[in-house]
Amino acid sequence: MNYLNKIAMLLMLIAIIACGKRSEQNTQQKENNSTGSTTEQQNNPNNPNNDPAPVTKTDKLPVIGSYTGGFTASVYDNSKNYVYENRITVFIDSLAGDMMYGRSVVAGNNRQFKGKFTKEGSNYKAEVTEPGDDKYDGKFTFTVKIDEANTNEIYMEGKWQANDKKLDVTERTYNLYKKDFAYDPQHSLPENVQWAELYGSDPKFPDRIESLTAEVTKYNGSTTELKKEDLQNLYKGDLEIIRNAIYARHGYSFKNRRVRFIFDQFVPWYMPVSTDVRGQLTDLEKKNIDLIKRFEEHAEKYYDEYGR
Amino acid sequence: MQAAIEKRSNSIKASGFKISGAKVFYFLLILIYTYFSYLLLKITLQYIPYNSDVAFLRIKQDVINIPFYKMAFFTHVYTAMLVLPAGLTQFSLYIRRSFPQIHKYTGWLYAAVVILLAGPSGLYMGIYANGGLVSQISFCLLAVLWIYFTAMAIVKVTRHDYKAHREFLIRSFALTLSAITLRAWKYLLVFLFEPRPMDVYQIVAWLGWIPNLIIAEMLIRKFIKLKIK
Repeated sequence: MNYLNKIAMLLMLIAIIACGKRSEQNTQQKENNSTGSTTEQQNNPNNPNNDPAPVTKTDKLPVIGSYTGGFTASVYDNSKNYVYENRITVFIDSLAGDMMYGRSVVAGNNRQFKGKFTKEGSNYKAEVTEPGDDKYDGKFTFTVKIDEANTNEIYMEGKWQANDKKLDVTERTYNLYKKDFAYDPQHSLPENVQWAELYGSDPKFPDRIESLTAEVTKYNGSTTELKKEDLQNLYKGDLEIIRNAIYARHGYSFKNRRVRFIFDQFVPWYMPVSTDVRGQLTDLEKKNIDLIKRFEEHAEKYYDEYGR
Repeated sequence: MQAAIEKRSNSIKASGFKISGAKVFYFLLILIYTYFSYLLLKITLQYIPYNSDVAFLRIKQDVINIPFYKMAFFTHVYTAMLVLPAGLTQFSLYIRRSFPQIHKYTGWLYAAVVILLAGPSGLYMGIYANGGLVSQISFCLLAVLWIYFTAMAIVKVTRHDYKAHREFLIRSFALTLSAITLRAWKYLLVFLFEPRPMDVYQIVAWLGWIPNLIIAEMLIRKFIKLKIK
């Protein structure tokens, strides 16, 4: 009996230890997943073509990840009202054989690409194409420069050529640095956005220049509950930017040129990564957006009208 | 439209002295007055059909659920318009002489709307006015004076004191016209200076009726002088 008891105890002890170890392993695995596959998670919900992007074990490669910076017009029709520079984020999601898969997010467009790449030393040279069913689709040719000694500094430089040669801008160049996207509610608008001129003019007053004011940097709709008293004395432009800063923190890529210009040109932390962030908004942010929107609409409709 | 009051006095003078130029002026003022009444009607029509999350109320959602606020708001919006035609009828010497019944009935309508409906509802809304204490005091004072002047005019007419009756109604109507002048000031200030929305709101809260009342007092003094002559 005594023996049996001891054996039973021993077995139980082993079982407990084993269980403990297994759960440790589980948590480790989970952590690995959550850090390793962020690019994939960002990719999937926005996959418009259901491209069969094969999942390969390339997550650890330093080339995989997101690159952001200016997307600058280099060949353009000078007579058109084109946008000289947008901010772009290029994602390299996976490599398989000699194929590279990824996507780019710029000016409210989220487009998949794929194409061949070659490795030259530690650098990658790639020529990738967008599906071709969008007006603004084209071809990216770039080099990812990796300094093996210092993998914190990885750059992507190259050009993009439009399929449609009749577009206002048919070629853009870029020099992007590698950066992971992270939502941070504390991100605030920089001081130099105060008094920034807003793109576009009121059709009623085409000569009038509309600019932001110092008030625009005072309020953060992602961290504080905005009150009527905060918003009721603000100009429409300031309200617009305060509201859109909430979307910008989540990496929303703006189609609206007026808003996009401000975030692309003035906000260093801004990184466009998605064209739909509604699912990511916090309850506080949703509440603030609703209230700001009310004052925005009121300003739009009634500010310079006969009425209160 | 302080000028609207001026036009009445002119019209009285005009019909007395038969100055045709003044009649043209009188006609123009009626036209302007009708135009502004039309603008106010358009503002009123924003709230038809009944909707408590539209136009001005879009930015009043913090007070919309305060007891009686909605009731006060819609009472004010739907009834205040009724007092505007009074401007075209009550100050006309021609109507007073040829159709005294019109003067009497529309007068009662004017008084009833101001004292029982538009006035008290305006006062209640004034308590919760946008723009804090600055505009709240102004709007409450405006409502109280509006009711007081109108009520006094009724008291005076029942005592057959027609001079005081007229004086109080000139004051009352000057405040009625603040519906037009407040919005006109706002339009002008925004057009000229583009002030911040709540700054302009606080300014016009006072600018909308104080000058009206000053002009009304000036007209009343002028009348008294004319009478003495």
